Amino acid sequence: MVLELQKPRPVWQIMFSTHHTDVGYLYLVFGITFLFMGGVLAMIIRTHLFFPGQGVLVSDSATFNRIFTVHGLTMLFLFALPVANGIGNILVPIMVRYKDMAYPKLNAIAFWMNPVGAALLWLGFADTTWVSYAPYSIIRAPGPAADMFIFGMKILGISSILSSINFVVTIVKCKHPDLPLRRVPLFAWSMLTVSLMTIVAMPTYASALIMMLTDRLGLSGFFNPFAGGDPIAYLHLFWFTFHPEVYIFLLPAIGMMYEIIPRFSRKPLYSQASGVFAFVMLGIIGFASWGHHMYSTGMDFTTKVVFMIGTLAAVPASGMHVFNFLATMWGGRIRFAAPMKFAVGGIALFFSAGAGGVLNSAMPLDFISHGTYWVVGHMHLFLIGTIGFGFVGMIYYMFPYVTGRMYSEKWASAHFVLMFWGTVQTFFTQHLLGLEGMPRRVYDYPTEFTSWTQLNQISTIGAWMIGASFAIFLASLIYYSAKGKEANMDDPWGIGGKYYYPVAAKNPHGGHSGY
Amino acid sequence: MECTSKQQMKTLIAVSIIALVALALIPQIVHAQLAQQTSAKQYINLRAEVWNEFFRMTTAAFTVGAIVSGTMIWLVWRFRESNPKNKAPTKWEHMDDPTAGSYEEEGH
Repeated sequence: MVLELQKPRPVWQIMFSTHHTDVGYLYLVFGITFLFMGGVLAMIIRTHLFFPGQGVLVSDSATFNRIFTVHGLTMLFLFALPVANGIGNILVPIMVRYKDMAYPKLNAIAFWMNPVGAALLWLGFADTTWVSYAPYSIIRAPGPAADMFIFGMKILGISSILSSINFVVTIVKCKHPDLPLRRVPLFAWSMLTVSLMTIVAMPTYASALIMMLTDRLGLSGFFNPFAGGDPIAYLHLFWFTFHPEVYIFLLPAIGMMYEIIPRFSRKPLYSQASGVFAFVMLGIIGFASWGHHMYSTGMDFTTKVVFMIGTLAAVPASGMHVFNFLATMWGGRIRFAAPMKFAVGGIALFFSAGAGGVLNSAMPLDFISHGTYWVVGHMHLFLIGTIGFGFVGMIYYMFPYVTGRMYSEKWASAHFVLMFWGTVQTFFTQHLLGLEGMPRRVYDYPTEFTSWTQLNQISTIGAWMIGASFAIFLASLIYYSAKGKEANMDDPWGIGGKYYYPVAAKNPHGGHSGY
Repeated sequence: MECTSKQQMKTLIAVSIIALVALALIPQIVHAQLAQQTSAKQYINLRAEVWNEFFRMTTAAFTVGAIVSGTMIWLVWRFRESNPKNKAPTKWEHMDDPTAGSYEEEGH
């Protein structure tokens, strides 16, 4: 069977393979490894902020800046994107009934650019923040760290574009002739949408990186105010790419929930068409809202209103996904195995994060919350609450198919409870910290502000719970992939039905009966 | 007539381009018109209107939020398989793949 690792192979066979499942495994191992590396940095940040004025773990602010910069870069570009690509690599060719990705060698090359980019980001350990604000990043940021950041991001960007081209061609051109595009499963639709978005968005940031590099070398002054340049121009270029990138991180997680929720509700998806429509809408609207990151930069009133409306336009499309999930669960007989727990938890947190986003998008409130811990809380509620929960649920879902063994449902439940509680405690509290006025990206805060101390301590305890939950996750992944009970590969959770997507690979004639 | 995926893709790309062009043009047109006629007083009034709109939206968002969250909690409780009211298999469970297709394909 294609997906199993039941018969161990030498590692080099997987490493030098161009087969889509092997490349998918490589992406997954890479992404999960960096999840834990980025997670360790997060624990350092939160533990450091437990006591004000102590310098508990980090002795100086420059090191602190480096830690949160690399934490952000790691979680976004070395965890979220690779894991989505990994699961996409494994499932998309099966879903469109093709033997592999359209360009297998290009696929492997796109993966192997990731370790190079990761090495540059981690060895450089830049202090520019993940946004890499000009003019600091071009005038003051110490090299070679900032230069390594630019080259690392450049390589990761090229990798993203190559893998996106591969996904688009695989889904649009290589799908089975009997399978109309509108019937392609929604996870594949999510990968198609984010791939098209990447192809449109990423070149802008690629240009900004080149401009930043030439500015740093003194050859140009695009963003350098001393040379007549405009730092705000960098922000426009950055957010034109990275607001859509938010959806590029998010939509695969929603696609994964579409795979999990009907399966564990034991009934068909409520509406394929509304899912497709909502993905396409979010793909377009994602480009209409980058200005909301920059309300406080002196943008004129009308433009701000337009970006406010553009941002709010994402609400109906996001709501369509939520209602589709709820309508699918309605009337089902739901088995709350680990993947379903994480999917439902992810929907609840997606909704909460979305509610915060509505408030963020309103410019009057944005002026109050801008640059505060509110933004940190909001962003992380999306990233961990939706993307993290979707990805972790999908990893549990894939576990028996990849390893041939079952994980422990008991430990997975412990993981879920700790992670859900920890996420709520950490990031809801950070919203309150923001409303109390605590700025983001600070190394220390005054001891006199007792409410800041209390809220930081509550948030840090929540972060430790998330850390503990991921320690359980790591131990489970390692232990049960070697010692777990053998899984019933036709129906690992005993919920009925024979043909799951991963299993469909070994049933070329049976296939997925609905498609 | 069944559309081919190539046609669908072309339609999708065309709609996306039209939407992006519209999104790029509308702010500029609106801005050009408002810039000609907005006085300082109107500017302040506009700000007050935005706050007003914000509170309305917040009220609507939290009302919808409370309903959706409540519905989700009820769904989880009511349709869990361990609920005594939910012992009988669903009508889709006899199929090889209960999740195949969607409501739309069944004519709902």
